[in-house]
Amino acid sequence: MDSRDPFRHNVLTSGHRACSGCGEAMAARMVSDLIGPDAIYINATGCLQVFSTHNQQSSWQAPWIHSVFANAAAVASGVEAALRARGKDTPVIVQAGDGGTFDIGLQCLSGMIERGHDILFVCYDNEAYMNTGVQRSSSTPHAVRTSTSPPGRLSQGKTQLKKDVISIMAAHHMPYAATATVAFFPDLKAKVEKAMTIKGPRFLQVLSPCPLGWVHDSALSVSVSRLAVETGLFPLVELEHGELTGVMRLAEQKPVEEYLRPQGRFKHLFGSKEGTVELHHLQALADARIRRYDLLGADTQWTTATAMQSQRHGRGGYAVSDSLHERPGSQGAQEVKADA
Amino acid sequence: MPDPKTKSKAKTKTQIKKSVKPKLAINPGSSTAYHTGDWRTEEPVYQNKWPPCSQTCPASEDIQAWLALAARQQWQAAWHKLSERNPFPATMGRICYHACESPCNRKHLDTAVNIHAMERYLGDMAIAHGWRHKPACDTLSGDKTKTQRVAVVGAGPAGLSCAFQLLRHGYSVTIFDEQSEPGGTLYSAIPDYRLPKSILAKEIDAIVALGVELRLNTRIGQDISESDLRNQFDAIFLAIGTRQPRQFQGKDNSTHSVMSGIDFLQALMLAESRHEKMTLPKKVAVVGGGNTAIDVARCVRRLGSEVTVICAQDPHGNHHHDLATEMPASVLEVIEAEAEGVHLLYRAGVRRLVRSGEHLSGVEIAHVDQVHDRHGNFNPKYFDGTEEFVPAGLIIFAIGQEANWDGLENLFQASESDGVWLGGDAVSKSKVAAAAVGSGYQAAMSIVASLKGEQAVFDHLKAVTKKSNKITYRQMQLSYYPTRSRHEGEMISRRLDGFKEVVQGLTDDDAFSEAQRCLSCGVCFECDNCWHFCPDAAVIKKTGGYDIDYDYCKGCGICANECPCGHIDMVAVKE
Repeated sequence: MDSRDPFRHNVLTSGHRACSGCGEAMAARMVSDLIGPDAIYINATGCLQVFSTHNQQSSWQAPWIHSVFANAAAVASGVEAALRARGKDTPVIVQAGDGGTFDIGLQCLSGMIERGHDILFVCYDNEAYMNTGVQRSSSTPHAVRTSTSPPGRLSQGKTQLKKDVISIMAAHHMPYAATATVAFFPDLKAKVEKAMTIKGPRFLQVLSPCPLGWVHDSALSVSVSRLAVETGLFPLVELEHGELTGVMRLAEQKPVEEYLRPQGRFKHLFGSKEGTVELHHLQALADARIRRYDLLGADTQWTTATAMQSQRHGRGGYAVSDSLHERPGSQGAQEVKADA
Repeated sequence: MPDPKTKSKAKTKTQIKKSVKPKLAINPGSSTAYHTGDWRTEEPVYQNKWPPCSQTCPASEDIQAWLALAARQQWQAAWHKLSERNPFPATMGRICYHACESPCNRKHLDTAVNIHAMERYLGDMAIAHGWRHKPACDTLSGDKTKTQRVAVVGAGPAGLSCAFQLLRHGYSVTIFDEQSEPGGTLYSAIPDYRLPKSILAKEIDAIVALGVELRLNTRIGQDISESDLRNQFDAIFLAIGTRQPRQFQGKDNSTHSVMSGIDFLQALMLAESRHEKMTLPKKVAVVGGGNTAIDVARCVRRLGSEVTVICAQDPHGNHHHDLATEMPASVLEVIEAEAEGVHLLYRAGVRRLVRSGEHLSGVEIAHVDQVHDRHGNFNPKYFDGTEEFVPAGLIIFAIGQEANWDGLENLFQASESDGVWLGGDAVSKSKVAAAAVGSGYQAAMSIVASLKGEQAVFDHLKAVTKKSNKITYRQMQLSYYPTRSRHEGEMISRRLDGFKEVVQGLTDDDAFSEAQRCLSCGVCFECDNCWHFCPDAAVIKKTGGYDIDYDYCKGCGICANECPCGHIDMVAVKE
């Protein structure tokens, strides 16, 4: 057991094989540290599963189980039902990428919500199948270059739109569905903590930049995810039982170009007539989202400016229970392969 | 994924020791057995940097450090940290032209931190609470009381600052001054509306309380000879200041209705202390573009006369090509002077004094084309045909002062190896009080090193005082800081009634709030950003700071990019 850090558990600890600057590793560490090690984590196939359990070495310092792409929510439903049958209330967390949520895992997820399992489903949304070589997913935004949506004579990247999965979730009339991103830690913390106080199915979509697939400098992961929110392209919202109950107001709306410029996946949009049209399209999409969620006028707890402000001695960290450090033995977390 | 077992290990930076397992354990276990640190080509390094305020401060105060203490409401600690370098915070907070504030990185977010008001607040607080200076507790001081004696000539800011540092290091110090009161120019030439005498006196008292022997009314060369001084003391610091007014170089031999700025301020102070009112003619002309000229003009206004300042240079902000043609006075002083009804004439020089017999009726001025000649000397060129008449019953020349080395010629020639140090206005180019304080500090440190005969100590000190790694706002992430408006001390109304202090100090709430405005440029304030954002859990938080676990850091650069204050540098990994 790794307990180098006295101020957090590092449920997802060092030594994992994520790329340098991985937004998903950052997001997963934040979320799992906010929940703590006393929970059962179910992982769909995806980057997170691959890089955190490479070659029989696990980065997970909590009970963790891998299922296949499609059925993480179904496995979690079984785990939750078993715990319930045994009278336990250990939290059950599903972690999946956008492939395991938007595409392949959607029907299991929908079933899990419909059946009302007491599970938090966290989707680390990096907007393509990054693990297998940056193929488009239904989460990939409009006009993005991926290996299966190359821009050229016939198209400017992906021709379709990003699937509005949070609305699909909300349409299940589920207790809690929210979007978050790594750049605003206080917001992410508040959402995870709120989700953990609610019983029933909860859904959290965390935008996680991918330096490899988004083709930006590894140092810019946080900045890029912040700009996604500040431009209005990725609204941070909370929906309870289908109703919009909270948004992150934009202190000022930034032009989408600021978000697109640092990313190589949008590079083809700059410098051509067709690209300019798509730039206008993306700006219009951002404007539409801002109107839809009233991101400029809503009366909110904080804004994009106040949510990121730094303070002397931080703005809150992770709850650390002593149990972690008292556990006997220094063996790594047990890895159970469901499909082994 | 291919087996990375064969990768070479370059674990030079291992901060946290752990039993290193084989690179790729075959047995199931924790991923911490696999050290991802050798992926990186750049690595983050925590690096304290000099903020621009400290870089600019002539007294080299660690402004960020004392503001950080003030922001935690550790007022006394903040005052100790501040007075370590500058034992005159209440004084300097009032009169210093706060060069520190113009490069403040905060101006790129909203407005600069009001450093001088904070300095004054701490100084006033120390006076109100009667806080006492602490002896220096660094490696230089040692435990033994020193037997060596040091003479300081001149009880101005440079001399007192030097004496203060030496006293803190345990030396016995004697200060000589020809005046009857310590303080030098601070005492004699700064009007009460900028610096009440009682404030200065209390700060000097705090230095004297450290056990200095103060010998006033004593001039070297008259009351004590140079050789006596050399024999009695192991080291001598000369900070005699500039007390000799420069004379008007015109064809006017009469001294009637002509004064120097320094003499005027001294006479005024004398009259005020006796509660007499100085009487002046209805119209007064002041010649000069420096702070003394502005001080004199503002005093004249308070005595009820009209005043015209004749200044050879340009007004502030018009120096598109050449800074040297801008008037040397502080811009704030000029703004306040204009608000008080002082009339300023720029690019004008006095050609002659117009007299009817002895009686002065005014001065003839002309347009000045070139202020300095190509050697940099003040040598104005006048244009014929631009003459104007300025009526004045008194003309006050505030055109600079010089040091008076009479009786000190031999000491002036001596060098530091002879045990004689020079400092203060008399030898430095910058004639501001803070620079004098700084020069006193430098001299004291040099004297300490020399008396202890430890070249190493001296070199170490030089290295410490050398300022490098300046940080600019471009290396910082200003969007992480909330905007907060600057707090100012209140201005009194009816300021022309007497010599009451014009600017008031900050209130307690304002001071606390103002201290928190400091961005802590280049110095970590533990915001946790690097810790939260590290994707590899390679930043480890400890009580009071962070460690980077170089075993796992992949060198992505997020921590450096998201550090609000620019405390983290990315440096190339050495092979």
